[in-house]
Amino acid sequence: MQPKVCLVLNNLSAFNRAWTQILRNLGIDYTLCIATGGGASSSIQTPQGVFSPSSPDLRGYFRQFDAVILCDNTNNLTQPSLINYSVFWLSWNAPEDPAFLFFNPHFSAAITDSGYNSNFPSDFPIVRPNPSDIAGTLYAADGGSAGSFNPLVAALTGGRGACVLFLAENIRAHVMTVCNTHTNNIPYYWRLDTAKHSTLASTTYTHRVARNGRAGEILAVPAPPTSSEDTETYPADCVVAYRYRNIFWLPHAMHRRQDVADDRNPYLFWLLYGLQAAGVRPRYKLPVQLETDHPLQVESTGAPFNHAITTQMGVLEASWDWMRDFARRKNTAIVNGLVVGTKYRMTNAAYHWNLLYSTSRTQAERDAAMRVHQILVAGHREGTTPCGVHDHTIGTNGYWGGSTAAGFVRHSGMRYGAPNDVPIARGRCCVAPHVLPAGVAGADAQTVQVGDTELVEWDIPTSGTGTTFDLPMGSIHAARIIIESEIEEMLALGFPDGYCAGHRYTNTASNNSGGECYWQALKEFGFRGVRSASACNRNLNTKRVAPNRYWNGFHLVQEMPLDIYNATNADFSWGLFHPSAPSGGDAVRYLNLDHSNDISSGWTTNPALAWRAYRRVLCMATGRWLATTAVSLGGAYFHPIHCLMPASPSRVLDRFDGWNILNAANQPHYNHAVELLENMDAIVRLLPEYLYWGTITDVMDHRERVMG
Amino acid sequence: MAIISYLTESGEERIVRPNTPLPVEVRNNELDTLLVATTSVTTDANRDLLGSTSTELPTLDGCGRYRKLVWFYFRAGADSTTYRVLARATDHNGAPLGAGWQLLATGTLPGEANSWGRIEIPATTDGYYDQYRIEVQRTSGDSNYNLTSKIVGVR
Repeated sequence: MQPKVCLVLNNLSAFNRAWTQILRNLGIDYTLCIATGGGASSSIQTPQGVFSPSSPDLRGYFRQFDAVILCDNTNNLTQPSLINYSVFWLSWNAPEDPAFLFFNPHFSAAITDSGYNSNFPSDFPIVRPNPSDIAGTLYAADGGSAGSFNPLVAALTGGRGACVLFLAENIRAHVMTVCNTHTNNIPYYWRLDTAKHSTLASTTYTHRVARNGRAGEILAVPAPPTSSEDTETYPADCVVAYRYRNIFWLPHAMHRRQDVADDRNPYLFWLLYGLQAAGVRPRYKLPVQLETDHPLQVESTGAPFNHAITTQMGVLEASWDWMRDFARRKNTAIVNGLVVGTKYRMTNAAYHWNLLYSTSRTQAERDAAMRVHQILVAGHREGTTPCGVHDHTIGTNGYWGGSTAAGFVRHSGMRYGAPNDVPIARGRCCVAPHVLPAGVAGADAQTVQVGDTELVEWDIPTSGTGTTFDLPMGSIHAARIIIESEIEEMLALGFPDGYCAGHRYTNTASNNSGGECYWQALKEFGFRGVRSASACNRNLNTKRVAPNRYWNGFHLVQEMPLDIYNATNADFSWGLFHPSAPSGGDAVRYLNLDHSNDISSGWTTNPALAWRAYRRVLCMATGRWLATTAVSLGGAYFHPIHCLMPASPSRVLDRFDGWNILNAANQPHYNHAVELLENMDAIVRLLPEYLYWGTITDVMDHRERVMG
Repeated sequence: MAIISYLTESGEERIVRPNTPLPVEVRNNELDTLLVATTSVTTDANRDLLGSTSTELPTLDGCGRYRKLVWFYFRAGADSTTYRVLARATDHNGAPLGAGWQLLATGTLPGEANSWGRIEIPATTDGYYDQYRIEVQRTSGDSNYNLTSKIVGVR
């Protein structure tokens, strides 16, 4: 059986293409059906004809699907109609009927449509929201504070937090959750009619999606606090996900907007959860993997943490030891872009090579750095923490970040190193070999192939025997010199290669993959792909990758940062929140999570706000990561030391515990690496049919599988 | 000994020989979808379909194989909007031959609110440029609107 679902929507002009992109990535077939309106009398246009929403014909048509998905949602509880036509389907509960997935459904008491109200099941156990009595019909969620915008449109920032307890699985996970919202921009959870639920929960019901054999099942509730500090609690009749017979009542999954499929969909956990609960078995699972940039580096020893270099190394050592063990246990690989180029081109002692070998570092600092380095090397060799080249020393911004790298210093030996006299720029004359007249090419002619184009070049500027020269960056000759020098440094550092071992991949510096000449050179050195921004040579800004991010068999994997600080204004993160942080210097302000100042205004007096910040940060970061995994098949990453400075040096691996564990700035301790990976692991464990811990190789394999 | 054979539609087994080669279906794949994007059309000068105002940054790269691009769009707003289509060639390394662009077309974006449009690039003759930059700028009204575009490349 091929998995197949039906998407029902009213208007393609507000249809988010991420719905279908995710289904394609999962190998789930889909059919779009268009409702002619939002009322109960609207018709449903299907490929097999136009049907009344209550007709046996439509019911029969739906029975070919594993699930029927309602795509439309609203942030206005007073709206009289949106998906009123679906009310009939709430009673299509026979074993032959498909599962129905309602995400952020509009079932407000403000709906006056008699066709809707007279057919709404009398035993439905969730209280219909009433815009005139919100407090009596819904529970304000996540602190109950209003955002400055509709919470349904949160994309990369501005998320709402929730720690959700999944009852059957007995798993707690932080996932962005809004059951309903209103024009006041407050998120809400649902209120259960406990009497009706009790009846349903004791009623035998047979359908493949009824795991417990009962007509009603509470799927998920707000997780109870784990600390007495956390006073954000909900009544016992508060639910966030419910199964009514074969009908799944689920939180918001996808915002309505006419847009291309992209990774600005942080709520999509609920789509994956709903599909799995509905028994839709995808052809493919999605590989989950994490990347880091600059796995070994130091930051300022100043405020607010005043961490000595050896202290910073201690935080990194403990965290990397834990991450290596995590990767080993979960059969994943945390790939790392290791800063290279500093052996030859940069004396900044903050970077990898100089941390290990520069005499400007004390012996104790070098020893501490070496301990981190040895974890990375060992992890590279065993496959848990593979490292690849990541070069900020050419120009300012990675590959082809400027037109010329002034005073470029190359390596020694190998093919392109000093003292070999090698080409450094494109030949003055370049002619395709099949139209090159005999005797025209100069004595220095050589054949150069970039992609499908092969040319004979001559009159080629060369390096001479020297080490230092100005290097024009826009040719394959420059790319070869640069990449070989980076690999030489990786070998000198004790790594057996420069491309994350068998993955043949790396995270480019600043996500600048250069352009065709760099991709060709990387292929020549054995790379299969790199992480790349769409604008792939900032700050020169003359190049873009192809929209499919695939060039002559070479992958250009889309990036997704999971950092918790604004690198423009701060050198590193000041933690979840810090009253004195520079603009965007803490996670809450960087991710725009301080809704109505409900974190900043009481931070020092109300300990519950630290927990609120923790929930929102973890939800937002995980939502970004999950969207990258499911929509763009990209690479999510963070900068370890930049995000781990807020960890307590004496309790690095401790889990967040509010104000009970303080960091060096006397703020709540938070280890971004541990929290992020463990939260994603909870989600992977919740969705075993849909996600698995994989590697960047799995991601590239899957890209080839579904890109067609 | 023949090692490859195939079944014909009538069920007959046919051995692959020079005069009875494997049946193949020849398809001309002359169209490629190159871009689908939703752009918020603002009053910013030099803002391209991908939202960038960096004037040297192409909207589409690696287009040298395409004789023509066809730009379909759906505009949600009616406010007067100008567009510019710029193009240039690169060398085999992907580097532009020089700074700046060749202006292929400019004008007022046709259509009212919630209307469709289609523009051929170039309007006449063939393209084969490596890079294109397509800019839109709202010149009237107070509100930005969404412009959803699809660009296909014709070989």
